[in-house]
Amino acid sequence: MMIPRRTLLGVALLGGAAALSVGLVCTPSTANPGAQARIGGAAPAFTVVDTNGKQVSLADFKGKTVVLEWTNHDCPYVRKHYNGQAMQGLQKKWTDKGVVWLSVISSARGEQGFVTPEQANKLTTDRGAHPTAVVFDTKGDVGRSYGATVTPHMYIIKADGTLAYMGGIDDKATTRLDDLKTAKNFVDTALDEIAQGKPVSTTTSRPYGCTVKYQS
Amino acid sequence: MRRMRSAPLLVFVLLSILGWQQPARAAAPASDLVKAELLAEPGAITPGQTFWVGVRLRMKEHWHTYWRNPGDSGEATSITWELPQGFSAGPIQWPTPTRIPVGPLANYGYDGETTLLSQITAPADLAPSSEVAINAHVTWLVCEKECIPGEAKLSLTLPAAAAASAAGSNDGPGAAFEAARSRLPQMSPWPARMDVTPDTLTLQAAAKGLQRDAIRSAQFFPFSETLIRHADPQTLAVTADGLSLELPRSALTIGTPNDARGVLVIDEAIGDSTVRHAFALGDVAIVTAAPIGSLGTILQAALLALLGGLILNLMPCVFPVLSIKVLSLINHAGQSARQLRLHGLIYTAGVLVTFVGLAGVLLALRAGGAEIGWGFQLQSPIAVAVLAYVLFSMGLSLSGVFHFGYSLQAVGGNLAHRTGLSGAFFAGALAVVVATPCTAPFMGTALGFAMTQPAAVSLVVFLALGLGLALPFLLLTLAPQLVGRLPRPGAWMETVKQALAFPIYATVAWLMWVLAQQVGASQLFAAMIGLVLVALAAWSFSIWQTSGTWGGRAAAAVAVACMITTAVAVAGLQRDQIEASPAAQTTAAAGIEPFSQRRLDELRAENRPVFVNMTAAWCITCLVNERVALSTDAVKSAFATGNIAYLKGDWTNRNPEITRILERHGRSGVPLYLLYAGGDEPVILPQILTAATVLQEIDRIRDRNSQRRADLPTSAKE
Repeated sequence: MMIPRRTLLGVALLGGAAALSVGLVCTPSTANPGAQARIGGAAPAFTVVDTNGKQVSLADFKGKTVVLEWTNHDCPYVRKHYNGQAMQGLQKKWTDKGVVWLSVISSARGEQGFVTPEQANKLTTDRGAHPTAVVFDTKGDVGRSYGATVTPHMYIIKADGTLAYMGGIDDKATTRLDDLKTAKNFVDTALDEIAQGKPVSTTTSRPYGCTVKYQS
Repeated sequence: MRRMRSAPLLVFVLLSILGWQQPARAAAPASDLVKAELLAEPGAITPGQTFWVGVRLRMKEHWHTYWRNPGDSGEATSITWELPQGFSAGPIQWPTPTRIPVGPLANYGYDGETTLLSQITAPADLAPSSEVAINAHVTWLVCEKECIPGEAKLSLTLPAAAAASAAGSNDGPGAAFEAARSRLPQMSPWPARMDVTPDTLTLQAAAKGLQRDAIRSAQFFPFSETLIRHADPQTLAVTADGLSLELPRSALTIGTPNDARGVLVIDEAIGDSTVRHAFALGDVAIVTAAPIGSLGTILQAALLALLGGLILNLMPCVFPVLSIKVLSLINHAGQSARQLRLHGLIYTAGVLVTFVGLAGVLLALRAGGAEIGWGFQLQSPIAVAVLAYVLFSMGLSLSGVFHFGYSLQAVGGNLAHRTGLSGAFFAGALAVVVATPCTAPFMGTALGFAMTQPAAVSLVVFLALGLGLALPFLLLTLAPQLVGRLPRPGAWMETVKQALAFPIYATVAWLMWVLAQQVGASQLFAAMIGLVLVALAAWSFSIWQTSGTWGGRAAAAVAVACMITTAVAVAGLQRDQIEASPAAQTTAAAGIEPFSQRRLDELRAENRPVFVNMTAAWCITCLVNERVALSTDAVKSAFATGNIAYLKGDWTNRNPEITRILERHGRSGVPLYLLYAGGDEPVILPQILTAATVLQEIDRIRDRNSQRRADLPTSAKE
């Protein structure tokens, strides 16, 4: 622009006022036409098969809080949470309180983290895990509809079917076991808040971990 | 499971790789995947010195480590320094990353090899001849498809030296550091902003005048991990305001993001090849813009524009026009309500038609690809001068020098007649025209919004603005009882009218100041003589109006002659602006001469070495070269000591003389760098310059010249 603002003080002031008003006018709308899963929006529906060959649908759990945990047992970040007994502890604590916990394996056949149903069940036993079910998403459709990028990527769906949390499991994006002690666990906090009928304070965080080994 | 091996070398020490390597499927141990080394640039450290150190990571083929924002997964490499007392280390200076697609996802990182630079500052009281141990604990995640965390404890020892014996950079690490620094993003030469809507993010870099054909692609790497969907395509547009990149917004940041910093990578076509530039955007203004198409927002924007239009009535250039219209109403308070209403409606029509016409021209030009924004009218010095002259004549008319068509008597006296009605339309049009200089800065903000909208929406906003401008007068004419409340006509009106000339003169003074930014001093003088001629024409015009004799005719002739002379002077302004383009102006101060073939020939005849830089404002590579190489102190002093003349050719506006030089050296565009040494053909420097390249070439010609001088006495002996 050729005309410097300072030349006419009045004009500059008015310009400033106009800029301010533009700022005020532009409040974000609540419409969300994006294809992604969004906080406050309906969680994408899915039907998958668990390690015991049973069909599992999100719709089956209407009225219950559902946790989705994307997992790959060989991923160093997943290992941190299982080796430190943190993931199992969280699963036990919340499934005991009636929360549905689904561990989702989206690794394609031949990729890291892909397991047979038998291997998956053995992993659950060996690691002392307490998910409601371990489910297969070998084609990656569920993972893609939720936008799951890493393991462990965590989602919480409220009883009314809306998405209440998505992101990392905690705020320490490392593979160091020691960090479990000092990390702030977003999933635990969000589940606490949901149980108490409070709004979730942290609804998103940076998901960290290994890339989900999707079918290419 | 830790293995350690160390291998001290002359200057730097390579220490070991400590692998955390249990994953069942890991094909290779971590130590084979990443080789880490710690390097220091200086051979010795002097007290108070700030020096570069680097952690070089060499990854196995197809394996990568991560940038500060690793993208969809992964983890940035981290370095923890353990330094002697008094030393401090700065943050990692991250090299520009590449985008690494992983299935449907994407990571940001480094394939093959990378050197993470940091700066360490030694204490001022560093004891000479002591040993300085630098320890770095480096942790990383290295991935192909699978990921393996790794770490290394690296250390090296450097001797401390007295300040005087500051060691120059050693051949080995020096070159490595030069290369590593060249991979750091440059500070962005353009201000940047991020327009945020609930669904989109648009990065705008104000790189005005870029050539859209030359920008092959652009990509933004944000620092924040939760800003964008890393794998999705980014849509590039080169607009009037520069470069705009639409980024797919991540659902992980809700509301307004608080960090939009990052690195902008641009691939620019230079001739047949493509050059990659990376710019650090360290300060990105976050602007929450209205989502396009929301009816409520458009209505709000229109309302805002209406208010803006109302306010315009108070502007120093518009206020007199409106006041005169009101005065004419006072003079004719006895007019019938119907006539008054008609008058007001036609004035409004004049305002709206002119506004829409102006907006239409702007939108059409933009649609046609012209890179202009609102205020384009005033980017031309001719338009500025013409506006100044129109306003000046108006002022003179108000001061009573002459009586112009729309003035109090003429318009007011004929309210009921056709001429009065067309006069009302003309007054409306005039209000818009004279409002232009006052509105440009104001509307730059308000209409910036309209410019981002589809044409129909923009027009609505423009119309609302025009309606706001016309509204006060329109309301007066629609409600004749209001006219009745205005003060009674009298001699005071003439005084008010004359007083109103002064805000107009102030506007003229301001337009002259604007013109002074656009043209040189001599052209500004010509433009101001134009003002004198306008005054002379006005005065002659009034004589002609009042006397019907030959004297009147002579006066009319003088008036016409003045107008023609003014027109010629104004037409000359544009040429002056092209010759004195900003790039050429700024260089004059720095001992750089503008390029001309004649000057080049002169300098070569004097046997002076000449460096020629052919550049253009829209060429990013040129800009980068000037920043990283030509304007560095080292190169400047080498030019000075070598007595090398520096000619800079600005090809921003096509210049046939420069085009010929380009063609002679097989180029169809800039940049072109030539170094003439003595009478020979010039050395053509590469299109991508570093300070080192330029210095090397300067050294070479100096060697050659001293060689030649050394040859002369030898041949004389023989």
